[in-house]
Amino acid sequence: MSEQHKAQLFAAWLNDDLSAEQQVQFERYCIEDKDFAQRVEQATQITMLAENSHDLPVPDWNKDASFEHSPPVRWWQSQGLSAASFACSLFAIMLVVSGFNINVSNGRVSMGFGEQISEQQINELVQQKIDDYQQTNQAMFAQYVDAIQSQQQQSGAQLTEYLLTSSRTERREDFAELIKFINEQRSDDQVFYARQLNNLQQEIYAQNGLRSSIPAMGPTDAQLPNE
Amino acid sequence: MFSKSDEQLIAKAIAGNKKAWFGLISRHEKAIYNYGVRMTGNCDDAKDLMQEIFVSVYRNLASYQGKGAFKGWLFKIAHYRCIEFYRRKKPHVSLDDAPEVDANVDSLSPEIELQCERAQSDLMNAMQQLPVNQRAVVELKFFGQFTFEEIADQLGVSANTAKSRLYTALGKLRTVLEVEYV
Repeated sequence: MSEQHKAQLFAAWLNDDLSAEQQVQFERYCIEDKDFAQRVEQATQITMLAENSHDLPVPDWNKDASFEHSPPVRWWQSQGLSAASFACSLFAIMLVVSGFNINVSNGRVSMGFGEQISEQQINELVQQKIDDYQQTNQAMFAQYVDAIQSQQQQSGAQLTEYLLTSSRTERREDFAELIKFINEQRSDDQVFYARQLNNLQQEIYAQNGLRSSIPAMGPTDAQLPNE
Repeated sequence: MFSKSDEQLIAKAIAGNKKAWFGLISRHEKAIYNYGVRMTGNCDDAKDLMQEIFVSVYRNLASYQGKGAFKGWLFKIAHYRCIEFYRRKKPHVSLDDAPEVDANVDSLSPEIELQCERAQSDLMNAMQQLPVNQRAVVELKFFGQFTFEEIADQLGVSANTAKSRLYTALGKLRTVLEVEYV
């Protein structure tokens, strides 16, 4: 029988865990195997010695040195926080670099990487820009039309007023000249008629020899207006 | 009746309760010290070893998850510290080799000789002539009252290896003790 088997049997005996068959084997070894029996005896002696021996008293020793308690690290002082912030920063950088985007449309959330804009989105954006441009232009044109209309109205009013004012003045001047001309004409006519009358008087007096009796007339009176 | 369990003391010690830690120490220091005495054969070394063990235990206290008895976990750490201690003292001696001891000279310190009975000191003296790995199994089995499975777990070997080491150790102990008695 091998030493290993004896060791197993011996251990079972120490543990008081021998089966009936092992018990028979164990007793046979104790009888037949002197070495085995001496070990059993030795183990018995050591067991009794261990049970009956008294422990040595513990000398004084520095118990405080074994207590190395340090106050717990606060959560904001822990390395985990800095590691977490570093991880968050790294995550944020990766999101930026990879072009991560989140779209919410029609109650649906879609996430993706990269600036992937569909043709429909481009068309919508272009159409929206065009509409905005048209609305801006229409508003601008309406403002221009209003401004031109008001400017034309002002110009028309000014022209009309000018024309009315200038025609009135001209007519007044024309009438004044006409009246003046008529008055001069009448004055000339009066002078003419007076001279004619004077000439006629002189001819009459000359014919009758009465010229000398005719009161002398001044040189201005005797001069005809047309002379 | 009102004594707290090891787990309660551990929880308080982790939270920084010095009194609880000292309570835990006082509960186990005698076993650890005597373990050190039997493993080193020297009171001063045992004291230093005990200091190292409890420092290491406190540092690793948070990693104790309550699986198995605290005593087993404590002696597992004690074994690792003891191995380190032995390697520092005798760096060129394998853990499976018997230390070079003069059989005619006691390897125990005089303090132990004075404080122990003759039979006990003879056994401890004989244990010093065992390889460390075998000495640890004898210590844990007979003085620590551990099962072979617990010993195997503490030493990091299989249960069969622990049984073989004990069987071999007893054979050598018998030889040494016979020589001493002659």
